[in-house]
Amino acid sequence: MTIAPRWRKVARDLLAHKLRTLLVVLSIAVGIFAILVVMGGRGILLDSFGTNFPKSDPASAVLYTSPFGSELVDRVGRSPGVAIAEGRQAAVVRYRSGDLLDVSEPPAQMTQASPPRDISLVAATDWAAVQVDRVFAQGGAPWPPGRDEVVLETSSQQISPLAAGDVVTVDLPDGTRKLLRVAGFAHDINAVPAMFSGRLVGYVTPQSMADLQQGAGMNELVLSLSDAHLDRAGVSRAVSKIRDDVVAPVGIVTYSAYVPTPGSHQLGDIFKAVSILLLALGAMALGLSGFLVVNTVSALLAQQMKQLGIMKAVGGRVSQITAMLLTLVAVYGGLAILIGLPLGSYWASWFARFAGGLLDFGPAAATPPLYTIVLAVAVGFLVPLIAAAFPIHTGTRVSVVNALNATGMDSQRFGHSLIDRALGRLRGLPRPTALSLRNTFRKKGRLALTLATLVLATSVVMSVGSVRGSILKTVSDVSQWWNYDVEVNFAQPESATLVQREALKVRGVTGAEGWLVTAAALKRGDGSENDQLSVVGLPPRTRFVTPAIVTGRWLRDTDSNAVVVNTDLVKSENLSVGQTVKLHVHGADRQFRIVGVVRGQLMGPVFFANQSYLSALIGSQGSVTRVLVRTDDHTIAGQDGTADQLQRHFTDMGVAVAGVQGEASNAADLANQLGILVTFLIVMAVILSAVGVIGLTGTMIINVLESTREIGVMRAIGASHASIFKVFVTEGFTIGLLAWLGGAALSWPMSYALVRLLESAVGIPLSFEFSWQVVVACLFVVSAISAAASLLPAYNASQVSVRDAIAYE
Amino acid sequence: MPALVTPGSDPLISLSSVVKTYDTGEVPFTALKGVDLTVEPGEFVGLIGKSGSGKTTLINMITGIDRPSSGDVVIGGTPIQRLSENRLAMWRGRTIGVVFQFFQLLPTLTVVENVMLPMDFCDVHAPREREAFALDLLEHVEMADQAHKLPAALSGGQQQRVAIARALANDPPILAADEPTGNLDSGTAESVFELFEALVERGKTIVMVTHDGDIAARVERALHVRDGEIVDDIRRGGRA
Ligand SMILES: Nc1ncnc2c1ncn2[C@@H]1O[C@H](COP(=O)(O)OP(=O)(O)OP(=O)(O)O)[C@@H](O)[C@H]1O
Ligand SMILES: [Mg+2]
Repeated sequence: MTIAPRWRKVARDLLAHKLRTLLVVLSIAVGIFAILVVMGGRGILLDSFGTNFPKSDPASAVLYTSPFGSELVDRVGRSPGVAIAEGRQAAVVRYRSGDLLDVSEPPAQMTQASPPRDISLVAATDWAAVQVDRVFAQGGAPWPPGRDEVVLETSSQQISPLAAGDVVTVDLPDGTRKLLRVAGFAHDINAVPAMFSGRLVGYVTPQSMADLQQGAGMNELVLSLSDAHLDRAGVSRAVSKIRDDVVAPVGIVTYSAYVPTPGSHQLGDIFKAVSILLLALGAMALGLSGFLVVNTVSALLAQQMKQLGIMKAVGGRVSQITAMLLTLVAVYGGLAILIGLPLGSYWASWFARFAGGLLDFGPAAATPPLYTIVLAVAVGFLVPLIAAAFPIHTGTRVSVVNALNATGMDSQRFGHSLIDRALGRLRGLPRPTALSLRNTFRKKGRLALTLATLVLATSVVMSVGSVRGSILKTVSDVSQWWNYDVEVNFAQPESATLVQREALKVRGVTGAEGWLVTAAALKRGDGSENDQLSVVGLPPRTRFVTPAIVTGRWLRDTDSNAVVVNTDLVKSENLSVGQTVKLHVHGADRQFRIVGVVRGQLMGPVFFANQSYLSALIGSQGSVTRVLVRTDDHTIAGQDGTADQLQRHFTDMGVAVAGVQGEASNAADLANQLGILVTFLIVMAVILSAVGVIGLTGTMIINVLESTREIGVMRAIGASHASIFKVFVTEGFTIGLLAWLGGAALSWPMSYALVRLLESAVGIPLSFEFSWQVVVACLFVVSAISAAASLLPAYNASQVSVRDAIAYE
Repeated sequence: MPALVTPGSDPLISLSSVVKTYDTGEVPFTALKGVDLTVEPGEFVGLIGKSGSGKTTLINMITGIDRPSSGDVVIGGTPIQRLSENRLAMWRGRTIGVVFQFFQLLPTLTVVENVMLPMDFCDVHAPREREAFALDLLEHVEMADQAHKLPAALSGGQQQRVAIARALANDPPILAADEPTGNLDSGTAESVFELFEALVERGKTIVMVTHDGDIAARVERALHVRDGEIVDDIRRGGRA
């Protein structure tokens, strides 16, 4: 079988110009890679969420109550509308890692090396029989956990080095300690990942709970309703009815209720934000790699122009030549797929593991879903073909004369546009520099595409810097609120005078103030309720917090049913100053008037009320549930140390402490949670930068290839390697500088848009801060990268053989 | 400028037993078969011969644009095959002005900038003085009034004059030109040739490949190249 000469030409074109083939293949491959990592990674995440979330049979609602027994669970389970009811016992305990039973009083260094931390323990009567909010043991962990054992939620690994076989020492209410052995890990997709809550979650049996002196009753009622089609308001109404008709009559108090939007995950909003970012990134990667391919393919065709003319002169038909070129391009696409597909799949699953780990989505597939692979393959073939269609169309229609006359130094004229003339007027530059500058603008279409790629990449990098800056600013703005160092929450209301006096006895404490915090439900117009609220009663003239008023005013001593709400609440419930709201507090509905809005602390929706009024309203007779403490040491370690001392002090005097929290570590946790989004943005920025760098390198390689003759001439008139090297590095550097300028201009609106997008995704107001430092830092990075990206092409340029370069053909 | 030439002693250009074999084709092809040649300072040498006879190959040996497979090339006392590619380029910039058939001006630099470029590369003259020297050279080739145009705005003959001015930028003792008039009409070719004659008057040594019979007949010394060998060396009147 003989191969027609024109197909032999296709094969030779591929082999003879290895650098060019490599360049075209790489620029297509980078697009396939980026799309596969982004879309494939997203696909794996969606799939693992789509499998693992329904598999857990998520609860319709959870009621957090005073202790109850199994009769209540049975009774609720038999209520109309309830499919399944289960009870859980939850408690927060403090632990230190390691066996510290024999250490009488941990010395300061010990506290620092192994600081006390909180862990939420959850017990079910029979873990193996759980049908709602299921938990799945991983890697052969014993299930249910044995006595003296705890199985940790997989996300615990995000913040703790604890591994199977480790032991922890738990502080018991009576002041003694007990050891728990970490038996392994279990995945609970409905648990808040440790990174977000700042605390570990562990699973134990009721027996272990009793051993840890946590009492016997259950305190969480997990419900699955039989009507799967109810909306959130419907579920809320049904749950309120169960609370009022079944739970309350037997003397059980419901503190709060968790009613998610049916079928949605608690991190759904964040995941949605991440998913939108990924889609945007995928689209950008597709566009950018399209640019690259257009660039390289049109340069390739420009080089072929003369040969096209010859083929036409010897009788080649347009359709034959077109088929030849399209085959060439398709072969490039095929080669690119061979490179991009395996690499892209590998990094897609890496990315999915990384993101799935942060979001705690559980086990995931190892390869991207088929549709993303099909998409990547289609992109690999179609984008280059589409990119080539236009230049091929114009190229094959060029007249033979024009094509053959493409001789001499350059077919494209320099000197006609405004930019060219402006550059021409730039006097006094050394000629090599002038050459670099003007050559930069010679191929304007190519420069525009290269710049578009780089400008996008740099502006995304800069914007990520600003998003990070905005998050830090948000945390610092929010931290203005805290004028105290440690907050101690009590399990039951305690005498204000007692706890304030006792707190002051702890070393390092300089001030203390008691607050009254009570759960509340907001009655909405449609009969549903928001059960996730609290009313905080505080002295209006408190010096322990600094309210940042958004609208209206702060509380006054003379206020009665006036409340100030925080922005978190305004956002989720659409409230405004002057409005009257109905709250279900302490078993009764009460009217409150909103007098002001303060900036939220990113800690959930809160109503602030005059403490004396609230105290009288719920008959608490001057007792408080929280004490705020000021210390002389404001560092994380100092605050955590004092927190530990306070916990010990109150426990020793028989006051049950529900939790202590140092405010600096609180702020740090907050920054960490928001930081997850920054991590995604950084991944995005890195991928885009890689595309940008390859794009710039590609453009420089094409420029060098097309300048071969000029390089030869320069060598012939005395240019050293270094001179030629400098000409091209300067050109790359100039492009980098222009990209930086464009990126800087674009980064402000882009940062702003990104921060607003994140804000709506996470549902909390963020402060905006434009990060000039990152923009300036980018100048140095971009300069360095663009100089580096032109090194290889510049080296190639300096190696050009003079004879070949100026040979007539 | 170091004195490259000691008058009356060694020849300026000296090739001995220069062989050039191309092995890019299917079978190796010997384009120069042991050429011996000496050129004295101030000579105007024309290389003539049929297409494919080896003229370009020979002139490339003199300019160092290509290297011989064997044999020695000594220019102004420098055995150029001992120079690295890099040193060779800088040596060429100062020693030999190269003129091409297709002019090869850089399209993004103006006329005067093209002439200044070799000075920049070889660091000849103080940077501030370069423009004055370049304008002076352009004056000499009667192109000073076009100094600030881009090459694309010039005719072929004008471009070649600029290219000659560029070849003279670093005041090299030798000028090498491969068919400098090949792309010009006869009138324009004539004026370029007169320019060369005037340069020889001023002491330059010129080696030029030409196809043009009329011009070939007017050079001082004509070397006939055939099948990679110099078969005839004709000196004509003048300054012998
Ligand atoms: N790079 C090369 N590779 C292989 N052979 C070559 C190469 N360059 C020249 N030749 C061969 O060497 C011989 C001499 O070529 P050269 O270019 O020196 O001829 P020329 O006398 O300059 O011809 P013309 O008048 O057409 O320019 C030719 O037969 C040519 O085929
Ligand atoms: Mg020739």
